[in-house]
Amino acid sequence: MSKLSIVVFSGTTDKLLSVGVLSQAAAAMGTEVRLFVTFWGLLSFTKGEKKMMLPKEFESMGPALMEGLKREKVSSWYDMIKEAKEFGAKVYACSMACGVMNIKKSDLDPIVDEMVGAATFLQQAEDGQMLFI
Amino acid sequence: MDAVKIVDSRGSACPGPITDLAKAYRNSKVGDVFELWATDKGVKPDAEAWAKKTGNEILEAREDPDKIVIKIKINKR
Repeated sequence: MSKLSIVVFSGTTDKLLSVGVLSQAAAAMGTEVRLFVTFWGLLSFTKGEKKMMLPKEFESMGPALMEGLKREKVSSWYDMIKEAKEFGAKVYACSMACGVMNIKKSDLDPIVDEMVGAATFLQQAEDGQMLFI
Repeated sequence: MDAVKIVDSRGSACPGPITDLAKAYRNSKVGDVFELWATDKGVKPDAEAWAKKTGNEILEAREDPDKIVIKIKINKR
């Protein structure tokens, strides 16, 4: 079975959308999907409302992007990851980054399956495709 | 032969149609034929990629005025 592993480093909505699309598409194609959420990515994987966040240089395009996403009926990145999970995708939070950012297991969104270290993720990702987003 | 099963994904953006197809595939058996209805412009190559990856077969792909129709035969479970 093919594998896709994504290091989710970025926490902005544009990049998380890519994570969502690729996760959902890969999962639908029967690929094993794993996400390893670390650093800024973690800020979007804690409990609570998921707000639109764009990199500074694209901030002014926020409203147009929102409108386009709505018009094309594109799901939210969160819902896409949920869809991927329905096909067995796993979401891991980086234990070290959680420590650094003072994020406890109870702070993480229920979409996160487990808090693990880099070795676990690398071992599971072995011989598959890996992306850093 | 069983009737063709319709998977209606019209209005759903990528990767919605492939996901709907994958969900229908879960409860399918060898010999089933699906018709995937979609409006997402990437659905034809995407359905071909899905079929190649999962070992299934595209019988037909056509563009109706209001939708793209992909006929898929399930050869592998």
